[in-house]
Amino acid sequence: MTNKKYAFYILIFSICVFLTGCEKETPNSRWSMLKKVDPAPIALYTETAAGQEELLQGIKEETSMMPSIYDVAVIKGKKDTLVAYKVKQMARFKMKRIEKELTEKLKSKYPDEKFTVSSDFKIFLETIRLWDKTQQPDFSKEKAEKRLKEIIKLNNELT
Amino acid sequence: MADSKRKNKTPEQQQYEKFEQKYETKRPVLKNCIKAFFVGGFICMIGQLISYFYIYFFHFTEQTSSNPTTATVIFLSMLLTGFGIYDRLGQFAGAGSAVPVSGFGNSIISAAIEHRTEGFVLGVGGNIFKLAGSVILFGVFSAFVVALIKTIFIMMTGGF
Repeated sequence: MTNKKYAFYILIFSICVFLTGCEKETPNSRWSMLKKVDPAPIALYTETAAGQEELLQGIKEETSMMPSIYDVAVIKGKKDTLVAYKVKQMARFKMKRIEKELTEKLKSKYPDEKFTVSSDFKIFLETIRLWDKTQQPDFSKEKAEKRLKEIIKLNNELT
Repeated sequence: MADSKRKNKTPEQQQYEKFEQKYETKRPVLKNCIKAFFVGGFICMIGQLISYFYIYFFHFTEQTSSNPTTATVIFLSMLLTGFGIYDRLGQFAGAGSAVPVSGFGNSIISAAIEHRTEGFVLGVGGNIFKLAGSVILFGVFSAFVVALIKTIFIMMTGGF
C-alpha cells in the first residue's frame, strides 16, 4: 500500500472518531458550542425559598445586559449558583476583565448568593447538558446537585 | 552600511553585481506570504477543531485542552512527515507550515529520517533534536526570563 493510501485511511479514521458519540447528545447541547441556545434559568430546589424564579431571571438579565456577552445559562443549586456565558468573538481578548466585572456586579447586587462565573466553553456545554437532563422526569435533584458540584469543581481546575 | 560596502567593491565587482541583479529570478514574496497565511491558518483551524473535540468528548476545559491539542498536532505532523506529505506542504507553504507547532514535529522527524543511515544511537539519537533542540532551549529560556520579569514586576508593584 502506498503512503497516500495510508494517509487517506488515517484521515477517514480521524473523521469517524470526530463524528462518533454525537447520537447520545441531547438536542440543546449538540450545537451549544456553535450557536446561541439561551436556556431559561433553573433552580434545582424551588421549594427552599420563595421568589427563586425572579431572582434567577434577574441574574440572567444582569448578565445578558453586558454588551460582550451573548448567551447565558444559569443553574442554582442548594448553595451555589452557576452562571455560564459565551463571549462575543472580538471581546474574547478581554475575558478575564469581563469575568471580574460580572462577578463584582452580581456579588454587589445579590450579596447572599454564592456565584461561580465562567466563560469557558466546556462549562457552558456541561451546564446545557445538565439543563437538558433536568428536563427529563426521571433525573433526580440529588443527581443534578452532584453534577452541578462536579461542573463547579471542573471550572476550578487549572491544569 | 550598504553604501560603504558598495564603495569597497571594485568597479568590476559593482558591474557584475548589476549584471547579476538583472538576471536574478525575483522571489514572489507576496504570493509566498499569501500561501503561508492560508496554509498556516488552515493548520490552526485543524488545531482549533481538535481542541473542540477534546472539550466536547473529554473532560477538558478551554484552558486545559491546549496541552493535548498541541501534542496531537505535533503527533499528526510527525506522521505526515513520515509519510512524506508534510515535506510537500512545506515546499508549497514555507513558513505557513513551519511556524505553527506542527513544524516542531516535522523538524524532529525529518532530522531522524535524515540520519537513520548512521545508526540508531549516533545517527537518530544524536541528531533527532538537531533542529528542535534550539527551539526547546529558546522556549524554556525565554519562558524563564518572562517569568522572572513578571515575578519582579509583581513583587515591586503588588500586581494590578
